[in-house]
Amino acid sequence: MVENNPLTVFSDSLYDFAVTLVCWIYFIFAFLFFFSIFYLLAFFCLSGNREQYFQYLNYLFFNGFLGILRFLAPRHKWDIDPEISAIRGSIIVCNHVSYLDPLLLISLLPRQKTIVKSRFFKAPVFGWLINVSGYMPSTTEGVHGQRMIKQLGGMKKFLQSGGNLFVFPEGTRNRDGGLGKFHKGVFKIGRMCGCPVQVLHLCNTEKLFAPGKFLFNTRVHNRIRLEVLACVGPTAESGRVPASELEREVRQIFESHVERREAVQ
Amino acid sequence: MTRDELQKKIVTILVDEFEFENPGLSDNLRDDHGFDSIDAIELLAKIEEMLGFQISRKEKEKAMSIRTINDILDYIETLQAAHTS
Repeated sequence: MVENNPLTVFSDSLYDFAVTLVCWIYFIFAFLFFFSIFYLLAFFCLSGNREQYFQYLNYLFFNGFLGILRFLAPRHKWDIDPEISAIRGSIIVCNHVSYLDPLLLISLLPRQKTIVKSRFFKAPVFGWLINVSGYMPSTTEGVHGQRMIKQLGGMKKFLQSGGNLFVFPEGTRNRDGGLGKFHKGVFKIGRMCGCPVQVLHLCNTEKLFAPGKFLFNTRVHNRIRLEVLACVGPTAESGRVPASELEREVRQIFESHVERREAVQ
Repeated sequence: MTRDELQKKIVTILVDEFEFENPGLSDNLRDDHGFDSIDAIELLAKIEEMLGFQISRKEKEKAMSIRTINDILDYIETLQAAHTS
């Protein structure tokens, strides 16, 4: 519920601004004066295991970021399924509603890879970080082709060693609350690697950080939920599962979950 | 392996493993069968198995421009030639 008193609205907006500012300060200064040292150490001294250390540093960095945000926005309650942090060696697919979603998943998974829009690889510092972390570009044009070949070539081994690949199969944030068209890539990776596919459902992060807005919205009372809906994928009996079948199964799981939720509401 | 034998094997792989329906040799793999870079990389692993040698990263990059089954066959023939010479 949002208060309508102009003074309250003003003070709440001011608070939103302050929270956003604190989060940005953490983002920039915690990276520059603390985490960058460890990233550089990992890059220069731990070359054999760079990728894994970078992923772990990303996990710690975003744990800090979300810890601050949760502390400063107490009207938002977080229901995170404790099973998620224990997921290993899986492909994780999740619906996508806010820019907070990837940060939340990184903060829950110490060894994580994901697919990132190719243009982000060109960004200074950030591009370097996601490249060394072993994240995959979404396209194969130009240098991205080499990255994709390298990452996909090692994906099975990465998953077998306990890493997770999380992907938002809709590709972009969904703004209408429904379920968008899926990109098939993640299901093809699932078919290729023959690993379990964990289906996660996330809701209400868009109420804290709405698409198109710059400030966090700390004013509303909200419950952010991230839950495991099901685990699909190949079994010893099924063998190789076609990508289209995986996609169909995952969509069905999402749709019946959304239907159940709507029926309850 | 002759081109005909290669063609038979590749078409079988595409139908059995990549869910192709009635593939034609000049079909655009992406537009007609939804074949993308992930499929290409998986297919390269199958080609490696079939040929019995590893394909270098540079050679794999060249495969990213493949558009038709005929292109795949040309690509494999070039690989074979390079590895036997």
